[in-house]
Amino acid sequence: MGGLQKKKYESGSATNYISRNKARKKLSLSLADFRRLCILKGIYPHEPKHKKKVNKGSTAPRTFYLLKDIRFLLHEPIVGKFREYKIFVRKLRKAYGKAEWSGVQRMKENKPAYKLDHIIKERYPTFIDAVRDVDDALSMCFLFSTFARTGKCHVQTIQLCRRLGVEWMNYIITSRSLRKVFLSIKGIYYQAEVLGQTITWIIPYQFAHDHPTDVDYRVMATFTELYTTLLGFVNFRLYQTLNLVYPPKLDGQGEFSLKSECEEDYALESESYSEKLAALSASLARTVPSVEDEEAELDHFPAEGEDLEKMETREKMELEQNKQKKLFEGLKFFLNREVPRESLAFVIRCFGGEVSWDKSLCIGSTYDETDETITHHIVDRPTIDKQYINRYYIQPQWVYDCVNGKILLPVEEYFLGVTLPPHLSPFVEESEGDYVPPEKLKLLALQKGEKPQAEEDEEEEEEEEDDEDDEEEDDQSEDEDEAEDEASLAEMEEKRAQGKSLSVKVTPGKVKPENRMRTEQEEKAEEKRLAIMMMKKREKYLYDKIMFGKKRHVREVSLLRNSSILYAFF
Amino acid sequence: MAAVRRHKRVAAAQPGFLPIKSSLDGNSSVIKRRKRVNKNKKKSWNRFSDIQDVEEFLDDVRLQERATGGLIAEKTDDTLFFVDTGETEEKDTQARKCKHSKPLRIDLILQPDSHIQAPKNVLAFQQPNAKKQRRISERAAKLAAMGVLPRREKLLQLRSAAAASGLSVKEHPVANNNPDRAFYDLWSAGKTADPYYLEQTKKKLVKRPDRLNEKPSVLPAVEVIAPGGSYNPDFFSHQDLLREAHEVELKKQKAEEKLARQLAVNEDKATEESTFKEQVEGLIEEEEIEPQEPEGDTEDTVMGPTATQEKKTEKQRKKEKAQRIKVKKSLYNIINKNTKVGEVVTCCSLIGIESVLFFRRFQTPDLDVQLSDELASSLRSLKPEGSILKDRFKSLQKRNIIEPRERARFNRKYKLKYSEKRAFREIE
Repeated sequence: MGGLQKKKYESGSATNYISRNKARKKLSLSLADFRRLCILKGIYPHEPKHKKKVNKGSTAPRTFYLLKDIRFLLHEPIVGKFREYKIFVRKLRKAYGKAEWSGVQRMKENKPAYKLDHIIKERYPTFIDAVRDVDDALSMCFLFSTFARTGKCHVQTIQLCRRLGVEWMNYIITSRSLRKVFLSIKGIYYQAEVLGQTITWIIPYQFAHDHPTDVDYRVMATFTELYTTLLGFVNFRLYQTLNLVYPPKLDGQGEFSLKSECEEDYALESESYSEKLAALSASLARTVPSVEDEEAELDHFPAEGEDLEKMETREKMELEQNKQKKLFEGLKFFLNREVPRESLAFVIRCFGGEVSWDKSLCIGSTYDETDETITHHIVDRPTIDKQYINRYYIQPQWVYDCVNGKILLPVEEYFLGVTLPPHLSPFVEESEGDYVPPEKLKLLALQKGEKPQAEEDEEEEEEEEDDEDDEEEDDQSEDEDEAEDEASLAEMEEKRAQGKSLSVKVTPGKVKPENRMRTEQEEKAEEKRLAIMMMKKREKYLYDKIMFGKKRHVREVSLLRNSSILYAFF
Repeated sequence: MAAVRRHKRVAAAQPGFLPIKSSLDGNSSVIKRRKRVNKNKKKSWNRFSDIQDVEEFLDDVRLQERATGGLIAEKTDDTLFFVDTGETEEKDTQARKCKHSKPLRIDLILQPDSHIQAPKNVLAFQQPNAKKQRRISERAAKLAAMGVLPRREKLLQLRSAAAASGLSVKEHPVANNNPDRAFYDLWSAGKTADPYYLEQTKKKLVKRPDRLNEKPSVLPAVEVIAPGGSYNPDFFSHQDLLREAHEVELKKQKAEEKLARQLAVNEDKATEESTFKEQVEGLIEEEEIEPQEPEGDTEDTVMGPTATQEKKTEKQRKKEKAQRIKVKKSLYNIINKNTKVGEVVTCCSLIGIESVLFFRRFQTPDLDVQLSDELASSLRSLKPEGSILKDRFKSLQKRNIIEPRERARFNRKYKLKYSEKRAFREIE
């Protein structure tokens, strides 16, 4: 029976995992190269369920990878490139030591380099997969483009990140896909909708910040390498969908308007074109000359699996979105020196507005401060000396709040020197019963107030079902309707009793537009009440306890609401 | 020979013969016999041979060379003589020039006054590998004649040809982070080669396992900060955020206090002596009368305590050991939670436990919050809080994309000793 016994740790989970050092040795790479490879290929360490089994009895803290993942890594072509690079470095160092300068030059010319295109294709087989993962890439690229070009990390990486960031912003402007903006203490959050995907990214403020020491820069640089490649390909494809020229070129008109005599003051000739693109003040050139977007009335056919109402709601949403896209259309903005120029230019142009700034500030200003047709002048100082009559002087938060509220807010609250209303986060979705700050209620009221004015043509009235309405309010309104009906019936009874002829006549019946959503809700409420009645005593007891806890939350919220009214006075 | 000598002797012996080298005495009887000298060796030849005439001649030659730069006999007539026709014009002009630019006498004295030229420095004209260089240049010429060019010229030719035709030279592999790099449509449907061809030429890439296509975490890539983190927040959301940060701080403080409590040496513990003293406090006056008794009793009581002490020490030892293990365990757990290598080392040095590398767990990043007095009144005066680099790094760790690891630090076991070099010590 010699060798037929099963030995420990020879099969099962112990053989499925491999420790980091063993994996590194299997690939014959240095630790830095191994880390870089794992980041590029997307191989992550796996936490085994029974660590002691995998560790063969010891409890030493080790990182484990799946053996199949490491075997997959062995087939990767860039592993060979890493090894070549290591040899190249060794040869170069020898040539330097022997002072063979011609050899050094020759080797530098033939430096081994690798491409990541196949890795991107492998990790993101379809374009939509790549678009889903692009928000991480965007945040990293924008972050790196704000780094100082001292040489600590390759200046070329920083330049590439800047170029890709500018291309992305130009795409968002052209496609008008920006939806939400949030100014936080960390940075500015943007949310856009691209090809049906919601993409959120953060851009740091332009002021200088000191770099933290406990961040591994090599790891971040490797991520940036991967993400710049990904973002570049995504940009190319996005530009293709809009029939724009890639690499982006300024439109003929735009370029003409941007030409000024003193171009050398801003940048070197080689960089002035990219700087003009970065100014975000002109539109991009297209491959196919596009006709002006006509408001063509297309026949509406419901898509498969959709009811009529769903289609109608979808159309409604699309109409709202289209309206939102033209929020700032026709408005002309002028930015003062102290406001964040790039962010504001981006947001304003995303919604169709025109924007300019002082000539000495940056390249690409289209009109002067003295232009008479400027409607809004954005200032961040307590006072301003010279004031023109036919323009509003407002603080920059107005622009962001308008974007989040999807309407043009009243300008009075944002004048110079006025205490601004708080900047609310558009990413918060209040569910039933949650505390809603009074500013948001005001905003909703404004939205509701504006809507009936704009929708004179629309016949549907009951579409505005806000999520914040409590069930109580619904019930209340129902009760009110019922009370009204009852009152009118009672009147009619009286009249008949009095022997007067009723003023009612037989008139052709009006089709009462059935509010199907309302009836659905009523049915659901009925069912709920029935179910509660049919519960057993024990179950009912538990249910009461739960509802008590829930209602406590509501009570607290109403308490807050009452106290907030007090605070509003301060 | 002998006959000649006899002849000379006889001639010299005749009266009236005037010898040349005779003494004035006329003492011809004493004729000095010339001593025979051996002139084979250098020393004897130097002593006994007379080369004065040769020396005189050579001196004369050297003098001529020094003074006039060559033998006078070899000079031409024109250099030695001139026909005096009585013209004196050049003299005057020359004299005037000389007066203006006459060199100093001291300079003249210091100039070499001999017309002999200095000898050539042969070493300066020597080239150690002249032959090798000659061979190399001949070989290069031969190759150039055949048409083979060195690398530099080849590249130069290529470049000029490319510039003339407008094409680019060799396609170097473009670096990944080149800011002008071009992109193409990666997801285009067509343009892929035949799969069989790819397989046979080993260009087909291995299929990626589907397990790797799942994301390691369901968390979103960019998590938006709570509404209290706005630069101009609404009052209640800001208070909520402050409360969260406050709770985090409270937790940390509690953990520290717990650690301090467990490490504290309890001096207030009741010892036997103190309890005895307390019990006996009211009875101090009685003890004055009975001081001797306890003295007598001490002899007996000494045995008692020692006997019980030994037993207790065993128990105490076990107790202490259990306590130590308990403290160690709890410390490990506490320290493991606030894992910072520096802290670990100091704590351990205090207690005397050897520092162990704790497995790094993910440390949640601090909440970015601005206190009420730090809130900005306008966008211009906003001071950003927190760093996005750190935020991205932590986000990657949180989503299990990278492990939470810290850079390994180098701690010296023994402190370095510095001493001055001998040269510097002598200065002061």
